[in-house]
Amino acid sequence: MTEKIAILSNVNMNFVIRSLKSKIDVYDAEGYGNELGTLLNPQSSYHAFQPQFLFLMMDLMQLLDGASDDEEAKGKIDRWFTALPDALGEEICYISDAYLWTAEETDADFQAKKQAWESLWQSRLESFVKENGKVRIFPYQKLIKAVGEEKAFSPITWRMGKIPHSSAMQKALEEEILHRVWVETRVPKKVLLLDLDNTLWSGLAGEHELTPIDLGGTDVGAAYRKTQEMILQMQKQGVVLGIVSKNNLQDAMDIIEHHPAMVLRAEHFSSMKINWAPKHENIMEIARELNLGLDSFVFFDDNPAERALVKEMLPQVEVPAFPESPEQLPQTMDIIYREYFEKPYVTKEDTERTRQYAENAKRMELQRAAVDFESYLKDLEIVAQRVNPENHMERLLQLVNKTNQFNLTTIRYTAEELQAIVSDRDHYDVYLYGITDKFGDNGIVAVLIVKRQGEEAEIEEFTMSCRVMGRNIEHALLDAVEEDLCQKGIKVLRGSFFPTAKNAPVEELYPALGFELCGSIPCRDGKEYKRDITDGLRRVGHVKWKE
Amino acid sequence: MKEKIIALIEEVLGLPEGIITPETTMDEVEEWDSLAHVMLIGMLEERLSVSIPLDEAVEITSVKEILEFAGVE
Repeated sequence: MTEKIAILSNVNMNFVIRSLKSKIDVYDAEGYGNELGTLLNPQSSYHAFQPQFLFLMMDLMQLLDGASDDEEAKGKIDRWFTALPDALGEEICYISDAYLWTAEETDADFQAKKQAWESLWQSRLESFVKENGKVRIFPYQKLIKAVGEEKAFSPITWRMGKIPHSSAMQKALEEEILHRVWVETRVPKKVLLLDLDNTLWSGLAGEHELTPIDLGGTDVGAAYRKTQEMILQMQKQGVVLGIVSKNNLQDAMDIIEHHPAMVLRAEHFSSMKINWAPKHENIMEIARELNLGLDSFVFFDDNPAERALVKEMLPQVEVPAFPESPEQLPQTMDIIYREYFEKPYVTKEDTERTRQYAENAKRMELQRAAVDFESYLKDLEIVAQRVNPENHMERLLQLVNKTNQFNLTTIRYTAEELQAIVSDRDHYDVYLYGITDKFGDNGIVAVLIVKRQGEEAEIEEFTMSCRVMGRNIEHALLDAVEEDLCQKGIKVLRGSFFPTAKNAPVEELYPALGFELCGSIPCRDGKEYKRDITDGLRRVGHVKWKE
Repeated sequence: MKEKIIALIEEVLGLPEGIITPETTMDEVEEWDSLAHVMLIGMLEERLSVSIPLDEAVEITSVKEILEFAGVE
């Protein structure tokens, strides 16, 4: 790794630092126990080193040294955290969570103290992390439990050299530190595609009556159920789930919807391909549905032939190995999570995204159920609302600059340019729209920027988020825009299309909306369109309006 | 046991196999500094259940003394 890291502690972590040196550029800490002094002194060698990642591995017993009661302990913890904001700069900072350890004999008093002080540290740390975007929790407790509390600490090295950790624990710390840096710097995958038979449950759907398969209980079924629980946890943190299974749809859905031990249900999957088509075709279909590149996918299947074929046909898709025995499934799923999906922290957007994909999945279900496209659109109960751009400048900026597919001209604007356009009411109309439907709020997702001149007007920008594409919403929006322009005395509306690598879906939009081709623009291969908007045309759409 | 102890010393010091012999002393090996020495004493206990009391551990300066403590010399 090419990153630079620093490990500061109030106990001796120098052997961890020494071991890490062959793998990553680590700051040579000058002793230990002066972490705040090192950080606060602008002349310290720490600042000359300029690490991108700082690990503050704090031994709680040392930090609270000599505290006689909870009150005093709280004071010491408060002082440490109060000094910290001034000590931190641009680096990402991990702080170890609470674990109180002593090399001395322990008694009931110590146990009470341990509980109280650990919770003091933990709650202070958690609120500090919430207030500071660059600070994260280092899972110290979890590592101790994984190594085993008895095996994680070493009284002899503590007494000899203030090294509290056994070599096994030091190894776990080194691995976790490297893992954190890696998680911070790589791009995570977005979608986990799962097979069903022998992957989510043991046995084959449709082979017997309702409880044919082994799921839950104590043996193999317990491992499968535990794995499903882990997958659900991943889903809640923003991993999008899909099913790609060769099965009869009804047999599989019977289990997914009705099996009492199932943890994952239909609502947790953003896409389900349960059919007999080749899996790589189904995966490509899902990529289209979700508007994601194939390099966002991980495919998990117990069948080596299916894995090999997907690997062969879709090399961008990650295909992890399946464990030799199903009892190892939970460990395998943990590795898959850490390897492909884990993020440094879970944002609101992550959980939002899951909700939006889920809503999209329901919309698609409706699309399948509806007899035809028209009734599907009607059933969606789409409602549009025009909003004042002055109240949504940030979203407007994002919409015109980040939308690639439904974008006719792909003109990008700076914040200042947009501000000028919004303010210039003598020449410009900015039509900004929010869309909701029966499954939820899609947010502000479409904009037209129109420039008026005499009796003509020109659509400079026509952009819609891909989240709401394919629902003929643009028909209703253009109807509304034309109505407004007519009232302002406009007779002819012009528009142009400039092709890019991404906007092929809207190449034929203007003809479909009743415009006629009237010329070409040599620059950027553009096409010019116009139409007479006094003809009273009303397009077919299923959008209701909200004032 | 003797081989295991020597292999462990080489592991802690980050040395290739064959450098440490029963006759090696601490001042002959640059990597065998006080930090590595503490780790070595800890790992003898952790991995091979060779427990050396603190006051004697700090006095040790050679492989021979370690082997004696382990009762293999």
